[in-house]
Amino acid sequence: MTALRESALVYPIIMTGHLTGMALFGGMICITDMRLLGWAMRDTPITDVIEQLRVWKQIGFVLVVGCGAMLLGSKAELYYYNPFYWTKMALLLLVGIHALAFRNVYSNPTAFPGKAKVAACLSLLIWVGLVTAGRSIAYWDVPDNLTPIYGSNSPTTHHTRK
Amino acid sequence: MMEIQIPYDPATNPLNNNEWSFPLLEIIHIVGFAIAIGTIFMVDLRLIGIGMKRQLASQLAKDLDPWTLGGLIAVLMSGPLIFSSDPNLYLNNFSFQFKIVALLVAILYQYTVHRKVAASDSSPVVGALVGIISVSLWISIVAGGLFIAFA
Repeated sequence: MTALRESALVYPIIMTGHLTGMALFGGMICITDMRLLGWAMRDTPITDVIEQLRVWKQIGFVLVVGCGAMLLGSKAELYYYNPFYWTKMALLLLVGIHALAFRNVYSNPTAFPGKAKVAACLSLLIWVGLVTAGRSIAYWDVPDNLTPIYGSNSPTTHHTRK
Repeated sequence: MMEIQIPYDPATNPLNNNEWSFPLLEIIHIVGFAIAIGTIFMVDLRLIGIGMKRQLASQLAKDLDPWTLGGLIAVLMSGPLIFSSDPNLYLNNFSFQFKIVALLVAILYQYTVHRKVAASDSSPVVGALVGIISVSLWISIVAGGLFIAFA
């Protein structure tokens, strides 16, 4: 973990994996939700869309969360104090609850049309929330009593405008 | 290499007078590229032949094209706004320079070779090659973008 934090290259490489995972698989989550709402791929049966994307979304999830865990491991003491990080974790928990609560929708989408639309809307909100919270992590102002120990925040904060 | 210096004061940019406009633009940028690259990747999976096999590449591309375009529009609107917050910083950043070149190549590629090959449902070998190049281009853009902050 120390190697992760102190190497100039490893942290951005892991972060690239995190973002690449989001890029490749985030759109799949969006299209699944859009199909459930009836706004995308209307000529393709719902079950075809969901079943074909399932394994890829799982791969993407493992990639993104795996990289995320490594990023967290390298900065755990700092993230512990970051409210945006905890918001993100709460939303991640909601992802799990959502998957459980709507599991019958995703295994048999045509049988629950109304519930499918609710599932899709909530899913979109949660994922956009995750991206928002995740990006905001870097913008948290490290309190003065923590900076001597942990230094300033990640390099991306040089863009912060006051 | 000489440093580029445009006589422009970022303080005059209204996007810089508050704390959250920059992260908000970034979030729009991220959601935009997730949709754009995600849908392109779905077509590429079919071209390469490892996913989305229940429909033809041409059908997939036709269905997903509006979403790819929407995502790219979000990216191409938020991107220049982000750039405007500090043009000199970006212009002198190698990662940014790389990213823009890769982006231009990728967009050109997407709307010429990729579109044609996807629409014509050509041979698996051609499709696989086109798909792999496509994925590589878009991933390198993401990497380039990320490394801007770490360069």
